[in-house]
Amino acid sequence: MSERQAPALLPVVLACAAALYCAYLVRQALLPFVLSFALAYVLNPLIDAAETRGLRRFHVVLAFYILAGLLLYLLGQLLLPVLLAETSRLQVDAPVYLAKVQKFAAGLQGRAAKHLPHAGLPIGPLAERAYASAMAQLEFVPSYLLGLFPLLSLFFLVPFITFFLLLDGPLIISTTIQAAPSRYVEQALHLLNAIDASLGHYLRGILIVALSITAASYVGLLALGLHAALSIAILAGVSSFVPYLGAVVGALVGGAAAVIQFGTVEASLKVVALFVGIRLADEALLQPFIAKYSVHLHPLIYLLSMMIGGEIFGFLGLVFAVPAACILKALVQVVWEWYASQARLRGHAARDCVAVPYT
Amino acid sequence: MPLSRFLRRFFGDPATSRKRAFLRSLDLFKDLRFVDLGHLVQSMHSRTYHEGEVLFMEGDIGRALFILESGQVQLTKAGPDGQPRKIYTIQPGEFFGEMALLEQLPRTATATAVERSQVLLLYRSKLESLLSSHPRIGVQIMTHLAQLLSARLRRAGGSGSPAGAGRTDSPTAGASSGAAATPAS
Repeated sequence: MSERQAPALLPVVLACAAALYCAYLVRQALLPFVLSFALAYVLNPLIDAAETRGLRRFHVVLAFYILAGLLLYLLGQLLLPVLLAETSRLQVDAPVYLAKVQKFAAGLQGRAAKHLPHAGLPIGPLAERAYASAMAQLEFVPSYLLGLFPLLSLFFLVPFITFFLLLDGPLIISTTIQAAPSRYVEQALHLLNAIDASLGHYLRGILIVALSITAASYVGLLALGLHAALSIAILAGVSSFVPYLGAVVGALVGGAAAVIQFGTVEASLKVVALFVGIRLADEALLQPFIAKYSVHLHPLIYLLSMMIGGEIFGFLGLVFAVPAACILKALVQVVWEWYASQARLRGHAARDCVAVPYT
Repeated sequence: MPLSRFLRRFFGDPATSRKRAFLRSLDLFKDLRFVDLGHLVQSMHSRTYHEGEVLFMEGDIGRALFILESGQVQLTKAGPDGQPRKIYTIQPGEFFGEMALLEQLPRTATATAVERSQVLLLYRSKLESLLSSHPRIGVQIMTHLAQLLSARLRRAGGSGSPAGAGRTDSPTAGASSGAAATPAS
């Protein structure tokens, strides 16, 4: 056997860095593709399961889209009236709520002044300033809504791109394998599997968490009698795409809504207790199931990846920071294993299991 | 029934059916059900190797089982003088590199496509997934591998080799299974 030489890693690292920089430059254009890729990744097992019955992939994907469309339509019929009712009730009740907030603030100030007579607590002026600021912001609501229009395009683009990714997913993988140098097909498969093992489970896991938090929050807030239960539950669910954020956002927004609606701190504490319970249930019931399959990242790596993701790509950076860290970890592990094997840095001992004579 | 035939032709995927039929023709998967074969087809990757392309080299870390669908693959091993010695030519329907499914150890031979060859690859972690999600398939494969190892041990024992010489490098012949005729690689 010919002597092997350690392959040069520097060109590979430089090429990866250049690719990442290019991705950063065109990050806006990549957004629908990243979202579609994540969605296709989550949905792919459903398509695969139907395909094992011998059906054409095109028919399976088409049938899935028709079913999903029907399901979304029914869900919209069910939830949209509730959301609209919540919004219109908020519009009607806003002055009442503001009056309650002012009364609550005045009560707080009175109680604080009784206990701390010498401390000048500017709660009254602060509340007035907050009220004035909220009124000023209302003028900008139409421009904020117009700013959401680019996001609306995602609702059309993402399903469109996802359709083709679902349809041609296996083709993309087989083309990649065919393009890999023949001798390194096993390494390419190793890399694809390492990424698939961590990324797929993480994305599916976080989707399950988001849906569970949305459902549990909605039921809980409804039981507590909160008017904006669905809006807050959806907000908590969407926020939970960023690890640990869902329950925090739900507790803060839900707590504030409870104070405004009921005018008591007790109601707010009940909402906070609800979200603490949801968080604990998530930790006890869902996380062990998800963590069993996904890549185990050190909490510091978690934090660092989210800070970097948030700094570079904003909210979506926060959402996709952990999957990106999973990919990076799998990439580093596989490349290092390959490098160590090629450079003979590590031996491979066969298991010594032949002590018992063959009978 | 004409209608069911029409539906099968319209909705059925011919490429998957072809692969399914090929896999069913192999000893390794002959007892698997229709849906199991579907899962297996999805777990496998297909690649075309052109004449002279190396599938793996002696000393590479093995991570996949190779099944030759068409073409020919030559197994060679470096002799004491460093020159490659031909040890076996894989024929369509035979599989090789199966030891990678049991242990991630360096390959004991080099595999090179002699002509344009279509190969199916079953990656180790895919087999592990099958073992947990579809035990029937995993057990079928592992049973066959155990039988294969047992056959090799018997031959090694019969030729006076130590019991641990399961990873024989010499070509073997006369086995009932086509797969057992290929040396470990």
